[in-house]
Amino acid sequence: MKKSVVSKEYQNLQKDILALQENWKKSINPESIIPNLDKGAMSAGVPAAALTSINFEISLFLQWIEEINTLLTKMNPELETKLAGISALVNEETAIRWIDEAFSFNSVYFASFAEENGLEEWIPQFLAETALRPYLQVTAEKVQHEITHAVPGAGCPVCGEPARLAVLRDEGQKVMTCPRCLAHWQAKRIECAHCGNYDHNTIQYITIEGDSTSQIQVCEKCTGYIKVIDTRQYLSMPSSAMLDLNTIHLDFVAQEQGYQVVGQVKQSN
Amino acid sequence: MATEYVKFVDVTKCDGCRACMVACKNWNDLPAEPQDFSGSVQSHAKTTADTWNVLQYIEHEDSKGNLDYLFRHSACFHCTDAACEKVCPENAISYTDFGTVVIDHEKCVGCGYCVNNCPFEVISLKEYVDKNGDKYKKANKCTMCTDRLEEGLQPACVTTCHTGAMEFGDKAEMIKKAEARVKQIKDRYPNAMVYNPQGVGGTHTVYVLAEKPSVYGLPENPKVPTSAVIWKDYAQPIGKMMIGATTMAVVGAFITNTIISKKKNGKNEDGGEHHE
Repeated sequence: MKKSVVSKEYQNLQKDILALQENWKKSINPESIIPNLDKGAMSAGVPAAALTSINFEISLFLQWIEEINTLLTKMNPELETKLAGISALVNEETAIRWIDEAFSFNSVYFASFAEENGLEEWIPQFLAETALRPYLQVTAEKVQHEITHAVPGAGCPVCGEPARLAVLRDEGQKVMTCPRCLAHWQAKRIECAHCGNYDHNTIQYITIEGDSTSQIQVCEKCTGYIKVIDTRQYLSMPSSAMLDLNTIHLDFVAQEQGYQVVGQVKQSN
Repeated sequence: MATEYVKFVDVTKCDGCRACMVACKNWNDLPAEPQDFSGSVQSHAKTTADTWNVLQYIEHEDSKGNLDYLFRHSACFHCTDAACEKVCPENAISYTDFGTVVIDHEKCVGCGYCVNNCPFEVISLKEYVDKNGDKYKKANKCTMCTDRLEEGLQPACVTTCHTGAMEFGDKAEMIKKAEARVKQIKDRYPNAMVYNPQGVGGTHTVYVLAEKPSVYGLPENPKVPTSAVIWKDYAQPIGKMMIGATTMAVVGAFITNTIISKKKNGKNEDGGEHHE
Protein backbone atom coordinates (compact mmCIF):
# COMPACT_ATOMS: atom_id res chain seq x y z
CA MET A 1 0.00 0.00 0.00
CA LYS A 2 1.50 3.30 -1.02
CA LYS A 3 -0.75 5.46 1.10
CA SER A 4 0.39 5.32 4.68
CA VAL A 5 0.80 7.87 7.40
CA VAL A 6 4.15 6.27 8.19
CA SER A 7 7.12 7.96 6.50
CA LYS A 8 8.92 6.08 3.73
CA GLU A 9 12.16 6.20 5.77
CA TYR A 10 10.58 4.49 8.76
CA GLN A 11 8.89 1.92 6.53
CA ASN A 12 12.26 1.16 4.95
CA LEU A 13 13.88 0.82 8.37
CA GLN A 14 11.19 -1.64 9.43
CA LYS A 15 11.59 -3.59 6.19
CA ASP A 16 15.32 -3.84 6.85
CA ILE A 17 14.68 -4.98 10.42
CA LEU A 18 12.22 -7.63 9.19
CA ALA A 19 14.82 -8.81 6.67
CA LEU A 20 17.40 -9.06 9.47
CA GLN A 21 14.97 -11.04 11.62
CA GLU A 22 14.27 -13.42 8.73
CA ASN A 23 18.00 -13.95 8.45
CA TRP A 24 18.44 -14.48 12.18
CA LYS A 25 15.68 -17.08 12.18
CA LYS A 26 17.86 -19.26 9.96
CA SER A 27 20.55 -19.39 12.62
CA ILE A 28 18.15 -20.61 15.31
CA ASN A 29 18.40 -24.32 15.88
CA PRO A 30 14.79 -25.61 15.77
CA GLU A 31 15.75 -28.27 18.32
CA SER A 32 16.39 -25.51 20.86
CA ILE A 33 12.65 -24.81 20.96
CA ILE A 34 10.65 -27.54 22.68
CA PRO A 35 6.92 -26.86 22.92
CA ASN A 36 5.15 -28.43 25.83
CA LEU A 37 1.60 -27.51 25.00
CA ASP A 38 -0.81 -28.20 27.80
CA LYS A 39 -4.37 -28.16 26.47
CA GLY A 40 -5.83 -27.10 29.80
CA ALA A 41 -3.44 -24.18 30.20
CA MET A 42 -3.93 -23.12 26.60
CA SER A 43 -7.71 -23.20 26.89
CA ALA A 44 -7.32 -20.93 29.91
CA GLY A 45 -5.44 -18.47 27.68
CA VAL A 46 -1.82 -19.20 28.58
CA PRO A 47 0.32 -18.34 25.54
CA ALA A 48 2.04 -21.30 23.90
CA ALA A 49 5.44 -19.59 24.11
CA ALA A 50 5.09 -19.54 27.91
CA LEU A 51 4.61 -23.31 27.76
CA THR A 52 7.63 -23.77 25.53
CA SER A 53 11.14 -24.37 26.65
CA ILE A 54 13.41 -22.13 24.58
CA ASN A 55 17.13 -22.61 24.84
CA PHE A 56 18.30 -19.10 23.98
CA GLU A 57 21.75 -18.75 22.53
CA ILE A 58 22.93 -15.65 24.35
CA SER A 59 25.89 -14.99 22.07
CA LEU A 60 23.49 -14.85 19.10
CA PHE A 61 21.18 -12.49 20.98
CA LEU A 62 24.11 -10.16 21.74
CA GLN A 63 25.27 -10.33 18.14
CA TRP A 64 21.79 -9.41 16.92
CA ILE A 65 21.67 -6.39 19.20
CA GLU A 66 24.96 -5.27 17.65
CA GLU A 67 23.49 -5.75 14.19
CA ILE A 68 20.40 -3.67 15.04
CA ASN A 69 22.66 -0.94 16.38
CA THR A 70 24.64 -0.95 13.15
CA LEU A 71 21.46 -0.75 11.08
CA LEU A 72 19.98 2.04 13.17
CA THR A 73 23.20 4.04 12.96
CA LYS A 74 23.40 3.48 9.22
CA MET A 75 19.83 4.74 8.74
CA ASN A 76 20.24 7.65 11.14
CA PRO A 77 23.85 8.64 11.94
CA GLU A 78 22.61 10.91 14.73
CA LEU A 79 21.83 7.80 16.79
CA GLU A 80 25.49 6.78 16.91
CA THR A 81 26.24 8.69 20.11
CA LYS A 82 23.00 7.53 21.73
CA LEU A 83 23.68 3.87 20.99
CA ALA A 84 27.43 3.98 21.62
CA GLY A 85 27.43 2.64 25.17
CA ILE A 86 24.97 -0.25 24.64
CA SER A 87 27.52 -2.95 23.82
CA ALA A 88 29.35 -2.34 27.07
CA LEU A 89 26.10 -2.40 29.06
CA VAL A 90 24.62 -5.61 27.70
CA ASN A 91 26.53 -8.62 28.97
CA GLU A 92 25.30 -12.20 29.23
CA GLU A 93 23.50 -11.57 32.49
CA THR A 94 21.70 -8.49 31.17
CA ALA A 95 20.82 -10.33 27.99
CA ILE A 96 19.08 -13.11 29.94
CA ARG A 97 17.17 -10.49 31.91
CA TRP A 98 16.28 -8.59 28.73
CA ILE A 99 14.89 -11.76 27.12
CA ASP A 100 12.71 -12.45 30.14
CA GLU A 101 11.46 -8.91 30.46
CA ALA A 102 10.91 -8.43 26.72
CA PHE A 103 8.94 -11.67 26.65
CA SER A 104 6.57 -10.37 29.32
CA PHE A 105 6.64 -6.86 27.80
CA ASN A 106 7.83 -5.31 31.06
CA SER A 107 8.01 -1.65 30.05
CA VAL A 108 8.63 -0.58 33.65
CA TYR A 109 11.87 -2.58 33.85
CA PHE A 110 13.17 -1.21 30.53
CA ALA A 111 12.24 2.37 31.46
CA SER A 112 14.15 2.11 34.73
CA PHE A 113 17.09 0.41 32.94
CA ALA A 114 17.22 3.32 30.50
CA GLU A 115 17.06 5.86 33.31
CA GLU A 116 19.78 4.16 35.36
CA ASN A 117 22.13 4.04 32.38
CA GLY A 118 21.34 7.44 30.91
CA LEU A 119 19.78 6.05 27.73
CA GLU A 120 16.77 7.32 25.86
CA GLU A 121 13.71 5.47 27.13
CA TRP A 122 12.84 3.67 23.88
CA ILE A 123 16.27 2.15 23.28
CA PRO A 124 16.55 -0.90 25.63
CA GLN A 125 13.04 -2.25 25.02
CA PHE A 126 13.25 -1.65 21.27
CA LEU A 127 16.52 -3.59 21.02
CA ALA A 128 15.40 -6.41 23.30
CA GLU A 129 12.04 -6.80 21.57
CA THR A 130 13.57 -6.75 18.08
CA ALA A 131 16.11 -9.42 19.01
CA LEU A 132 13.52 -11.57 20.81
CA ARG A 133 11.04 -11.74 17.94
CA PRO A 134 12.90 -14.29 15.79
CA TYR A 135 12.64 -16.79 18.68
CA LEU A 136 8.92 -16.06 19.07
CA GLN A 137 8.40 -16.41 15.34
CA VAL A 138 10.19 -19.75 15.13
CA THR A 139 8.12 -20.90 18.12
CA ALA A 140 4.94 -19.79 16.33
CA GLU A 141 5.97 -21.68 13.18
CA LYS A 142 6.56 -24.77 15.26
CA VAL A 143 3.21 -24.72 17.09
CA GLN A 144 1.10 -23.17 14.30
CA HIS A 145 -0.59 -26.49 13.47
CA GLU A 146 -1.99 -26.58 17.02
CA ILE A 147 -3.31 -23.02 16.92
CA THR A 148 -6.85 -22.99 15.65
CA HIS A 149 -8.48 -20.35 17.79
CA ALA A 150 -7.76 -17.95 20.62
CA VAL A 151 -9.32 -17.41 24.01
CA PRO A 152 -11.12 -14.02 23.96
CA GLY A 153 -9.15 -11.47 25.95
CA ALA A 154 -6.01 -13.58 26.18
CA GLY A 155 -4.39 -12.05 23.09
CA CYS A 156 -2.22 -14.02 20.73
CA PRO A 157 -2.34 -17.73 21.62
CA VAL A 158 1.40 -18.00 20.95
CA CYS A 159 3.03 -14.89 22.40
CA GLY A 160 0.24 -13.14 24.31
CA GLU A 161 0.43 -9.90 22.29
CA PRO A 162 -2.95 -8.11 22.41
CA ALA A 163 -5.06 -9.17 19.42
CA ARG A 164 -5.48 -6.20 17.11
CA LEU A 165 -5.17 -7.25 13.48
CA ALA A 166 -7.30 -9.48 11.30
CA VAL A 167 -7.19 -10.12 7.58
CA LEU A 168 -9.96 -11.31 5.29
CA ARG A 169 -8.87 -14.19 3.08
CA ASP A 170 -10.20 -16.59 0.46
CA GLU A 171 -13.99 -16.64 0.66
CA GLY A 172 -14.04 -13.95 3.32
CA GLN A 173 -12.65 -15.87 6.27
CA LYS A 174 -11.51 -13.64 9.09
CA VAL A 175 -8.04 -14.69 10.18
CA MET A 176 -6.48 -13.00 13.19
CA THR A 177 -2.76 -12.44 12.78
CA CYS A 178 -0.10 -11.45 15.29
CA PRO A 179 2.33 -8.79 14.10
CA ARG A 180 4.78 -9.85 16.82
CA CYS A 181 5.20 -13.62 16.32
CA LEU A 182 3.31 -13.89 12.99
CA ALA A 183 1.01 -16.65 14.30
CA HIS A 184 -2.51 -16.74 12.88
CA TRP A 185 -5.82 -18.23 13.92
CA GLN A 186 -9.40 -18.25 12.73
CA ALA A 187 -12.12 -16.06 14.18
CA LYS A 188 -15.81 -15.52 13.54
CA ARG A 189 -16.60 -12.56 11.31
CA ILE A 190 -18.76 -10.96 13.99
CA GLU A 191 -16.90 -11.64 17.18
CA CYS A 192 -14.98 -9.41 19.58
CA ALA A 193 -11.42 -10.69 20.07
CA HIS A 194 -11.31 -9.10 23.52
CA CYS A 195 -14.52 -10.19 25.25
CA GLY A 196 -15.91 -12.84 22.89
CA ASN A 197 -19.10 -10.85 22.28
CA TYR A 198 -20.83 -11.97 19.10
CA ASP A 199 -24.02 -9.94 19.34
CA HIS A 200 -24.37 -8.16 16.01
CA ASN A 201 -26.17 -5.26 17.68
CA THR A 202 -23.15 -4.31 19.75
CA ILE A 203 -20.43 -4.98 17.22
CA GLN A 204 -19.97 -2.02 14.90
CA TYR A 205 -17.62 -1.09 12.09
CA ILE A 206 -15.82 2.18 11.49
CA THR A 207 -14.67 2.73 7.92
CA ILE A 208 -12.42 5.40 6.51
CA GLU A 209 -13.71 7.25 3.46
CA GLY A 210 -11.62 6.38 0.42
CA ASP A 211 -10.01 3.39 2.11
CA SER A 212 -11.80 0.46 0.57
CA THR A 213 -9.76 -2.25 2.24
CA SER A 214 -9.86 -1.39 5.94
CA GLN A 215 -12.42 -1.57 8.69
CA ILE A 216 -12.17 -1.06 12.41
CA GLN A 217 -14.33 -3.56 14.24
CA VAL A 218 -15.40 -2.11 17.58
CA CYS A 219 -17.25 -3.72 20.45
CA GLU A 220 -19.70 -1.60 22.42
CA LYS A 221 -19.61 -4.07 25.31
CA CYS A 222 -15.91 -3.90 26.12
CA THR A 223 -14.92 -0.85 24.00
CA GLY A 224 -12.11 -2.87 22.44
CA TYR A 225 -11.26 -2.72 18.74
CA ILE A 226 -9.43 -4.67 16.10
CA LYS A 227 -8.35 -3.69 12.60
CA VAL A 228 -9.80 -5.82 9.79
CA ILE A 229 -7.98 -5.60 6.47
CA ASP A 230 -9.37 -7.09 3.27
CA THR A 231 -6.09 -8.36 1.87
CA ARG A 232 -7.93 -10.14 -0.94
CA GLN A 233 -7.81 -6.79 -2.74
CA TYR A 234 -4.02 -6.52 -2.41
CA LEU A 235 -1.67 -7.23 -5.28
CA SER A 236 0.72 -8.92 -2.90
CA MET A 237 0.28 -9.93 0.72
CA PRO A 238 2.49 -7.90 3.07
CA SER A 239 3.79 -9.44 6.30
CA SER A 240 1.57 -8.94 9.35
CA ALA A 241 4.20 -6.67 10.90
CA MET A 242 4.24 -4.32 7.90
CA LEU A 243 0.46 -4.46 7.61
CA ASP A 244 0.12 -3.49 11.26
CA LEU A 245 2.55 -0.59 10.79
CA ASN A 246 0.99 0.72 7.59
CA THR A 247 -2.50 0.69 9.07
CA ILE A 248 -1.50 2.62 12.18
CA HIS A 249 -3.88 5.43 11.16
CA LEU A 250 -6.72 3.05 12.04
CA ASP A 251 -5.37 2.77 15.60
CA PHE A 252 -5.40 6.57 15.86
CA VAL A 253 -8.96 6.77 14.58
CA ALA A 254 -10.20 4.00 16.89
CA GLN A 255 -8.50 5.46 19.95
CA GLU A 256 -9.74 8.97 19.13
CA GLN A 257 -13.25 7.50 19.07
CA GLY A 258 -12.71 6.14 22.58
CA TYR A 259 -11.94 2.51 21.78
CA GLN A 260 -9.08 0.61 23.36
CA VAL A 261 -6.39 -1.82 22.27
CA VAL A 262 -7.49 -4.16 25.02
CA GLY A 263 -11.22 -4.05 25.72
CA GLN A 264 -12.53 -4.47 29.22
CA VAL A 265 -16.05 -5.37 30.22
CA LYS A 266 -17.14 -3.12 33.03
CA GLN A 267 -18.05 -5.11 36.11
CA SER A 268 -21.15 -4.09 37.98
CA ASN A 269 -22.48 -5.33 41.28
CA MET B 1 9.40 -1.36 -14.45
CA ALA B 2 6.84 -2.68 -12.01
CA THR B 3 5.83 -6.33 -12.19
CA GLU B 4 3.90 -7.02 -15.38
CA TYR B 5 0.41 -8.00 -14.37
CA VAL B 6 -2.44 -9.40 -16.40
CA LYS B 7 -6.11 -9.85 -15.73
CA PHE B 8 -7.03 -13.48 -16.30
CA VAL B 9 -10.70 -13.99 -17.18
CA ASP B 10 -11.97 -17.55 -17.20
CA VAL B 11 -15.34 -17.18 -18.89
CA THR B 12 -16.25 -20.77 -18.03
CA LYS B 13 -16.40 -19.84 -14.35
CA CYS B 14 -18.50 -16.71 -14.89
CA ASP B 15 -22.14 -16.95 -13.79
CA GLY B 16 -23.14 -13.65 -15.36
CA CYS B 17 -23.92 -11.83 -12.11
CA ARG B 18 -22.65 -8.49 -13.46
CA ALA B 19 -21.01 -7.54 -10.15
CA CYS B 20 -17.91 -6.57 -12.19
CA MET B 21 -19.99 -3.96 -14.02
CA VAL B 22 -21.31 -2.55 -10.76
CA ALA B 23 -17.88 -2.54 -9.12
CA CYS B 24 -16.44 -0.68 -12.10
CA LYS B 25 -19.18 1.96 -12.03
CA ASN B 26 -18.75 2.29 -8.30
CA TRP B 27 -14.96 2.66 -8.22
CA ASN B 28 -14.72 4.91 -11.28
CA ASP B 29 -17.77 6.95 -10.33
CA LEU B 30 -19.48 6.38 -13.67
CA PRO B 31 -23.12 7.35 -14.15
CA ALA B 32 -25.82 4.80 -14.91
CA GLU B 33 -26.97 4.58 -18.51
CA PRO B 34 -30.57 3.35 -18.67
CA GLN B 35 -31.06 1.13 -21.71
CA ASP B 36 -34.08 -0.08 -23.62
CA PHE B 37 -34.77 -3.80 -23.52
CA SER B 38 -33.03 -5.35 -26.50
CA GLY B 39 -34.44 -8.84 -26.23
CA SER B 40 -31.54 -10.15 -24.18
CA VAL B 41 -30.43 -10.14 -20.56
CA GLN B 42 -27.38 -8.21 -21.75
CA SER B 43 -27.68 -4.66 -20.48
CA HIS B 44 -25.60 -2.71 -23.00
CA ALA B 45 -24.80 -3.71 -26.59
CA LYS B 46 -21.11 -2.92 -25.99
CA THR B 47 -18.86 -0.85 -23.79
CA THR B 48 -19.52 2.88 -23.82
CA ALA B 49 -17.80 6.00 -22.51
CA ASP B 50 -19.64 5.58 -19.20
CA THR B 51 -19.80 1.78 -19.07
CA TRP B 52 -16.25 0.49 -19.25
CA ASN B 53 -17.09 -3.15 -18.95
CA VAL B 54 -20.10 -5.04 -20.22
CA LEU B 55 -21.12 -8.58 -19.52
CA GLN B 56 -21.91 -10.33 -22.78
CA TYR B 57 -24.63 -12.99 -22.86
CA ILE B 58 -24.43 -15.22 -25.90
CA GLU B 59 -26.91 -17.94 -26.86
CA HIS B 60 -24.76 -20.39 -28.74
CA GLU B 61 -25.61 -23.63 -30.47
CA ASP B 62 -22.72 -26.03 -30.05
CA SER B 63 -21.58 -28.69 -32.54
CA LYS B 64 -24.06 -31.21 -31.09
CA GLY B 65 -26.96 -28.83 -31.53
CA ASN B 66 -27.26 -28.08 -27.84
CA LEU B 67 -27.88 -24.59 -26.57
CA ASP B 68 -25.05 -23.13 -24.55
CA TYR B 69 -25.41 -19.88 -22.68
CA LEU B 70 -22.02 -18.17 -22.74
CA PHE B 71 -20.94 -15.19 -20.66
CA ARG B 72 -17.97 -12.90 -21.14
CA HIS B 73 -16.71 -9.95 -19.15
CA SER B 74 -15.73 -7.53 -21.92
CA ALA B 75 -13.50 -4.51 -21.36
CA CYS B 76 -10.32 -2.96 -22.69
CA PHE B 77 -7.66 -5.60 -23.38
CA HIS B 78 -4.72 -3.28 -22.64
CA CYS B 79 -2.77 -4.52 -25.68
CA THR B 80 0.99 -4.68 -25.42
CA ASP B 81 1.12 -3.11 -28.88
CA ALA B 82 -1.96 -0.92 -28.73
CA ALA B 83 -3.46 0.47 -31.92
CA CYS B 84 -5.09 3.32 -29.97
CA GLU B 85 -1.71 4.43 -28.68
CA LYS B 86 -0.27 4.19 -32.17
CA VAL B 87 -2.88 6.36 -33.84
CA CYS B 88 -3.27 9.05 -31.19
CA PRO B 89 -1.94 12.23 -32.83
CA GLU B 90 -1.64 14.02 -29.47
CA ASN B 91 0.23 11.24 -27.61
CA ALA B 92 -2.64 11.29 -25.14
CA ILE B 93 -2.64 7.49 -24.87
CA SER B 94 0.30 5.87 -23.17
CA TYR B 95 1.47 2.71 -21.40
CA THR B 96 1.93 2.68 -17.64
CA ASP B 97 4.62 0.81 -15.75
CA PHE B 98 2.05 -1.93 -15.17
CA GLY B 99 1.58 -2.39 -18.92
CA THR B 100 -1.91 -0.87 -18.81
CA VAL B 101 -3.00 1.59 -21.49
CA VAL B 102 -4.38 4.90 -20.23
CA ILE B 103 -5.77 8.09 -21.73
CA ASP B 104 -4.57 11.50 -20.56
CA HIS B 105 -7.64 13.74 -20.74
CA GLU B 106 -5.48 16.86 -20.60
CA LYS B 107 -3.97 15.92 -23.94
CA CYS B 108 -6.96 14.21 -25.60
CA VAL B 109 -8.62 16.39 -28.23
CA GLY B 110 -11.47 13.98 -28.93
CA CYS B 111 -10.46 13.27 -32.55
CA GLY B 112 -11.77 9.72 -32.32
CA TYR B 113 -8.87 8.01 -34.16
CA CYS B 114 -8.46 5.61 -31.23
CA VAL B 115 -12.17 4.75 -31.35
CA ASN B 116 -11.96 3.89 -35.05
CA ASN B 117 -8.76 1.87 -34.77
CA CYS B 118 -9.33 -0.22 -31.63
CA PRO B 119 -9.61 -3.83 -32.89
CA PHE B 120 -11.88 -4.67 -29.94
CA GLU B 121 -14.12 -1.59 -30.16
CA VAL B 122 -13.81 -0.76 -26.47
CA ILE B 123 -13.03 2.98 -26.64
CA SER B 124 -15.78 5.57 -26.87
CA LEU B 125 -15.98 9.33 -27.01
CA LYS B 126 -17.92 11.19 -24.36
CA GLU B 127 -19.36 14.62 -24.91
CA TYR B 128 -18.75 17.20 -22.20
CA VAL B 129 -19.99 20.79 -21.92
CA ASP B 130 -17.67 23.45 -20.51
CA LYS B 131 -18.77 26.44 -18.40
CA ASN B 132 -19.34 28.53 -21.53
CA GLY B 133 -21.75 25.95 -22.87
CA ASP B 134 -19.27 24.78 -25.53
CA LYS B 135 -19.24 21.09 -26.31
CA TYR B 136 -16.05 19.02 -26.49
CA LYS B 137 -15.24 15.33 -26.59
CA LYS B 138 -12.77 13.05 -24.82
CA ALA B 139 -12.03 9.37 -25.29
CA ASN B 140 -12.92 7.04 -22.40
CA LYS B 141 -12.27 3.41 -21.61
CA CYS B 142 -11.33 0.96 -18.86
CA THR B 143 -8.10 1.95 -17.12
CA MET B 144 -7.59 -1.50 -15.52
CA CYS B 145 -8.01 0.58 -12.32
CA THR B 146 -4.46 1.89 -12.71
CA ASP B 147 -5.18 4.20 -9.77
CA ARG B 148 -5.80 1.12 -7.63
CA LEU B 149 -2.72 -0.69 -8.97
CA GLU B 150 -0.62 2.29 -7.92
CA GLU B 151 -1.97 1.81 -4.40
CA GLY B 152 -1.09 -1.87 -4.43
CA LEU B 153 -4.71 -2.96 -4.96
CA GLN B 154 -6.23 -5.21 -7.60
CA PRO B 155 -8.75 -3.86 -10.15
CA ALA B 156 -12.25 -3.35 -8.71
CA CYS B 157 -13.88 -5.89 -11.07
CA VAL B 158 -11.44 -8.61 -10.02
CA THR B 159 -11.91 -8.09 -6.29
CA THR B 160 -15.67 -8.33 -6.57
CA CYS B 161 -15.88 -11.49 -8.69
CA HIS B 162 -17.47 -14.09 -6.44
CA THR B 163 -16.96 -17.12 -8.66
CA GLY B 164 -13.24 -16.56 -9.08
CA ALA B 165 -13.70 -16.11 -12.84
CA MET B 166 -11.25 -13.22 -12.72
CA GLU B 167 -7.79 -13.16 -11.26
CA PHE B 168 -5.08 -10.57 -11.36
CA GLY B 169 -1.44 -11.46 -11.06
CA ASP B 170 1.96 -12.00 -12.56
CA LYS B 171 1.73 -12.39 -16.34
CA ALA B 172 3.63 -15.68 -16.68
CA GLU B 173 1.74 -17.26 -13.78
CA MET B 174 -1.66 -16.22 -15.14
CA ILE B 175 -0.90 -17.51 -18.64
CA LYS B 176 0.22 -20.81 -17.12
CA LYS B 177 -3.05 -21.01 -15.19
CA ALA B 178 -5.04 -20.22 -18.32
CA GLU B 179 -3.30 -22.98 -20.29
CA ALA B 180 -3.88 -25.49 -17.50
CA ARG B 181 -7.55 -24.51 -17.33
CA VAL B 182 -8.01 -25.05 -21.08
CA LYS B 183 -6.68 -28.61 -20.72
CA GLN B 184 -9.07 -29.16 -17.83
CA ILE B 185 -12.20 -28.09 -19.76
CA LYS B 186 -11.40 -29.57 -23.18
CA ASP B 187 -13.88 -32.42 -22.65
CA ARG B 188 -16.78 -30.09 -22.14
CA TYR B 189 -15.61 -27.32 -24.47
CA PRO B 190 -13.57 -28.85 -27.31
CA ASN B 191 -13.02 -25.41 -28.86
CA ALA B 192 -11.74 -23.90 -25.60
CA MET B 193 -8.67 -21.72 -25.99
CA VAL B 194 -6.48 -19.11 -24.40
CA TYR B 195 -7.13 -15.76 -26.05
CA ASN B 196 -3.98 -13.66 -25.83
CA PRO B 197 -3.67 -12.41 -29.41
CA GLN B 198 -0.09 -12.01 -30.55
CA GLY B 199 -1.03 -9.71 -33.43
CA VAL B 200 -1.15 -6.92 -30.86
CA GLY B 201 1.86 -8.21 -28.94
CA GLY B 202 -0.30 -10.08 -26.42
CA THR B 203 -2.80 -8.39 -24.15
CA HIS B 204 -3.03 -7.57 -20.46
CA THR B 205 -6.42 -9.22 -20.27
CA VAL B 206 -6.03 -12.89 -21.03
CA TYR B 207 -9.12 -15.00 -21.56
CA VAL B 208 -9.98 -18.63 -21.38
CA LEU B 209 -12.77 -18.77 -23.96
CA ALA B 210 -15.16 -21.70 -24.14
CA GLU B 211 -15.62 -21.27 -27.88
CA LYS B 212 -13.84 -19.69 -30.83
CA PRO B 213 -13.27 -15.94 -30.49
CA SER B 214 -15.74 -15.20 -33.28
CA VAL B 215 -18.56 -16.69 -31.16
CA TYR B 216 -17.93 -13.86 -28.71
CA GLY B 217 -17.66 -11.31 -31.52
CA LEU B 218 -13.90 -11.10 -31.05
CA PRO B 219 -11.44 -10.89 -33.94
CA GLU B 220 -9.59 -14.18 -34.48
CA ASN B 221 -6.28 -12.44 -35.06
CA PRO B 222 -6.47 -8.72 -34.27
CA LYS B 223 -3.64 -6.54 -35.56
CA VAL B 224 -2.49 -3.00 -35.27
CA PRO B 225 -3.72 -1.56 -38.62
CA THR B 226 -0.84 -1.13 -41.10
CA SER B 227 -2.10 2.38 -41.77
CA ALA B 228 -1.61 3.16 -38.06
CA VAL B 229 1.96 1.86 -38.11
CA ILE B 230 2.74 3.83 -41.26
CA TRP B 231 1.09 6.91 -39.77
CA LYS B 232 2.82 6.81 -36.39
CA ASP B 233 6.17 5.23 -37.17
CA TYR B 234 6.88 6.80 -40.55
CA ALA B 235 4.51 9.56 -41.65
CA GLN B 236 4.51 11.52 -38.37
CA PRO B 237 8.28 11.53 -37.77
CA ILE B 238 8.97 12.30 -41.44
CA GLY B 239 6.27 14.97 -41.31
CA LYS B 240 7.89 16.49 -38.23
CA MET B 241 11.27 16.36 -39.92
CA MET B 242 9.73 18.02 -42.95
CA ILE B 243 8.22 20.71 -40.75
CA GLY B 244 11.68 21.26 -39.31
CA ALA B 245 13.23 21.39 -42.76
CA THR B 246 10.52 23.69 -44.07
CA THR B 247 10.88 25.97 -41.06
CA MET B 248 14.62 26.07 -41.49
CA ALA B 249 14.15 26.89 -45.17
CA VAL B 250 11.68 29.69 -44.36
CA VAL B 251 13.95 31.12 -41.65
CA GLY B 252 16.98 30.79 -43.94
CA ALA B 253 15.14 32.47 -46.79
CA PHE B 254 13.97 35.26 -44.49
CA ILE B 255 17.49 35.96 -43.24
CA THR B 256 18.99 35.74 -46.71
CA ASN B 257 16.31 37.97 -48.19
CA THR B 258 16.70 40.52 -45.40
CA ILE B 259 20.47 40.70 -45.90
CA ILE B 260 20.11 40.90 -49.67
CA SER B 261 17.39 43.53 -49.46
CA LYS B 262 19.53 45.53 -47.00
CA LYS B 263 22.44 45.33 -49.38
CA LYS B 264 20.16 46.42 -52.18
CA ASN B 265 18.86 49.29 -50.02
CA GLY B 266 22.44 50.26 -49.25
CA LYS B 267 23.24 50.32 -52.94
CA ASN B 268 20.16 52.39 -53.59
CA GLU B 269 21.16 54.81 -50.82
CA ASP B 270 24.64 54.94 -52.25
CA GLY B 271 23.15 55.50 -55.61
CA GLY B 272 21.04 58.25 -54.15
CA GLU B 273 24.12 59.94 -52.79
CA HIS B 274 25.67 59.74 -56.20
CA HIS B 275 22.64 61.35 -57.67
CA GLU B 276 22.86 64.14 -55.24
